[in-house]
Amino acid sequence: MLQTKVNRSWENAKQDTAQRMEAASRFIGNGKQVKHEDTVALLEAVIRPYDIVNIEGNNQKQADFLAECLNKVDRGKIHDLHMVQSAVPLKAHLDLFENGIAKKLDFAFGGPQAGRVAEFIRDGKLELGAIHTYLELFGRYFLDLTPKVSLICAYKADRKGNLYTGFNTEDTPTIVEATKFRQGIVIAQVNEIVDELPRVDIPADWIDAVIESPRPFFLEPLFTRDPALVTDTQILLGMMCLKGIYGPYGVKRLNHGIGFLSTAIELMLPTYGEELGLKGKICTHMILNPHPTMIPAIESGWVETIHCFGGELGMDEYVASRPDIFFTGPDGTLRSNRAFAQTAGHYALDMFIGGTLQIDKYGNSSTATANRVAGFGGAPNMGCDAKGRRHVTESWLKCGQELPNREAIQGDMPRGRRLVVQGVETFGEGRAPVFVDKLDAWKLAENANLDLPPVMIYGDDLTHIVTEEGIAYLSRCPDLESRMAAIRGVAGYTEIGLQAKPEETKRLREAGIIMTPEDLGIDRSRANRSLLAAKNMQDLVTWSGGLYNPPARFRNW
Amino acid sequence: MTKWTDLQSASFLESNARDRALGLVDEGSFTEFCGPMDRRPSPHLGVLGDAVEYDDGVVTGVGRIGETPVFVISQEGRFIGGAVGEVHGAKIVNTVRLAIEMLDAMVAKNPDTPEAHKPIVVFSFETGGVRLHEANAGLLAHAEFMDQVQKARGKVPVIAVIGSKVGCFGGMGFVAAAMDAIVMSEFGRLGLTGPEVIEQEMGREEFDSSDRGLVFRTTGAKHKYIMGDCNFLVKDSVAAFRAQIADLAVLPIADFEAMRRIGSEAAVDKQLALVALAVELQPKDSLDVWAHAGNEAPAELNDAPYEEFIAKAQRLAV
Repeated sequence: MLQTKVNRSWENAKQDTAQRMEAASRFIGNGKQVKHEDTVALLEAVIRPYDIVNIEGNNQKQADFLAECLNKVDRGKIHDLHMVQSAVPLKAHLDLFENGIAKKLDFAFGGPQAGRVAEFIRDGKLELGAIHTYLELFGRYFLDLTPKVSLICAYKADRKGNLYTGFNTEDTPTIVEATKFRQGIVIAQVNEIVDELPRVDIPADWIDAVIESPRPFFLEPLFTRDPALVTDTQILLGMMCLKGIYGPYGVKRLNHGIGFLSTAIELMLPTYGEELGLKGKICTHMILNPHPTMIPAIESGWVETIHCFGGELGMDEYVASRPDIFFTGPDGTLRSNRAFAQTAGHYALDMFIGGTLQIDKYGNSSTATANRVAGFGGAPNMGCDAKGRRHVTESWLKCGQELPNREAIQGDMPRGRRLVVQGVETFGEGRAPVFVDKLDAWKLAENANLDLPPVMIYGDDLTHIVTEEGIAYLSRCPDLESRMAAIRGVAGYTEIGLQAKPEETKRLREAGIIMTPEDLGIDRSRANRSLLAAKNMQDLVTWSGGLYNPPARFRNW
Repeated sequence: MTKWTDLQSASFLESNARDRALGLVDEGSFTEFCGPMDRRPSPHLGVLGDAVEYDDGVVTGVGRIGETPVFVISQEGRFIGGAVGEVHGAKIVNTVRLAIEMLDAMVAKNPDTPEAHKPIVVFSFETGGVRLHEANAGLLAHAEFMDQVQKARGKVPVIAVIGSKVGCFGGMGFVAAAMDAIVMSEFGRLGLTGPEVIEQEMGREEFDSSDRGLVFRTTGAKHKYIMGDCNFLVKDSVAAFRAQIADLAVLPIADFEAMRRIGSEAAVDKQLALVALAVELQPKDSLDVWAHAGNEAPAELNDAPYEEFIAKAQRLAV
């Protein structure tokens, strides 16, 4: 018999943490409170070189004070940190690499710092682990990227150290669970310390230190879209989506992102959607942040339930007043949770609809540009066909049956399929063509030494493209050549679109693979802003009965 | 084309230049001058490889409200932000000139022409001022327009109407201020330097142009109404603007003198008093001035719907 039993201590991590907390003990008072002036010293006591460290922050709430303090530590003591975090939108996140405090990065979303990420990779200041989706990264927190120290943020703490993350709970439970249950250290910045919390979102014994931040954490109203900025073309695209996709497939469970096309669709549910008789048949279950532009549809009875990745500034009171629709706690306020919303997004949606900067001739789409490592957040989780899905819904079944030669590929086994829709104008911002021969992602891969071009949605997952020219039903194409022909047929006057052959496009229209607005029975002259249920921010406030309180920067009064 | 009756209830903010022009006068009475069918695009934009419009981004013409001939100018913000170029400028200048010529001809023929029969000019602004692609011609048009406004003074009322998306900024802000009366909806904005330019020149701490609430509190119609920069605040519908213009159309020309912002010693004294007040008050926000004007809860007043605002607002007296 082989003697394989190792002789070791099984509590190294625990003892290491205990030593670090011992060094930090002089800064930690009652209720785990640390004075904000002592934050840098606290971080120097608990963090060691080469640690895996998480700074909480996605595209909305940010542990910004802790991120800034981490930049102030003595780099002789702390260096070569391996940062694992959802997003790096703050200047301070990248300063860590400039200052030599951090070396390696695993993340999901770059945001405004995406240009610096690319630059730092090129200059050797930053070693990129990988660009993930949120779920992928969260998964790795529990596998091979578990943080030793996590710097998180919450609205409030009580005098024992319990936390209230409330409306913007977002990533906090995931980070804390991964860190604390692997003997790590969790430090929280809070806006205020109070006697009693509205509810406990994170229990005190999972927290090691609480700092009352000198200023409230930064919160970006990322999902607020002003109806006044919706254009007639976006309205035309929205009409096509409703009449050509939402309606015929009976899309009930879906996600909407931040693009203006989804804004247009949301604002047309009570008008054009009602006219098409779709109420109750589409958009009943949604995974999205509390978009203010959903208010008219909610108020006119379209929606049964909404679960949120995160909160949205100004929507707190409205959401708290609609607990039948939103997931709210015993205290009445929303609890968002990115991990669960993304799980629903990956497995349980009928459809993902989004926009992109570029689509290539095969249907691959990406928002990557040559010099920005931006990542895609959660889009790839939702913008794909989840192969592990087993439950059936009407639209999933219908889309799966559309493939004309499915028996030749899959044999006789019936399958379902998620609708994955890209809605774009053929020319985007700055008149840049959306349809291109080769994605800029290839150049980025070269510039930033990436193994693969970063693709948001792969061509074979894409089922529909909607442009002002029409809808390409890629789900009905038997092979790559006919998919490419369908893409050319809706690509307008772009280089790709000009390669379309009129007789081929005609044949595709007859086969129902391409449908123009006219084929769908849509009168283009009706595509104007009179179809919007709310035309400006004030209309949204009125729809909400005064419960929505838009951030100052969105007010047109 | 939208039906005239539908235009009346339409949001003025949402209406394009042609709909505003048609809807501000009586049904079927509008005749367009130099319209898109006449095909007079900017001669400069084409050379620069930019897109042109056959009406150069402004609708001009004449219609009626009741018995009053109404010369209408209506700018389209969706074409280069409603900026004034050469053709655009020629159209607006000559529309005022035609109104003055009409009045002169009427009075020469019949010195007792009733007030209600005399023409007025209505200018629906949506512009950031000079079109930079043809800046010299645009600037010249500003000067020529001011000249026409001076010539019209005491003869033809020239009324500014502001309630469209772009607002009225740049040199056209001066032009509006020089006119006889200003009518705004609460979504109208009036100023000289646009918010983005102030931020660019003075820094974000001085003026955060992404803070739309701040932008509206500073350049928006509610503030202009309290300050006396605009004479009338109306609801955001074509009909409400039209009704206000109809009221003004029948007034004797002399009544417009009291509405003017410039052009008299009294107006200069008032401006100087406002400067002195600014020095004394050192306001950090427009709401400080509202409070000084006697509005006890200025923030609530700012959030109040139109009817409540009009009923409660105290206007600044200097």
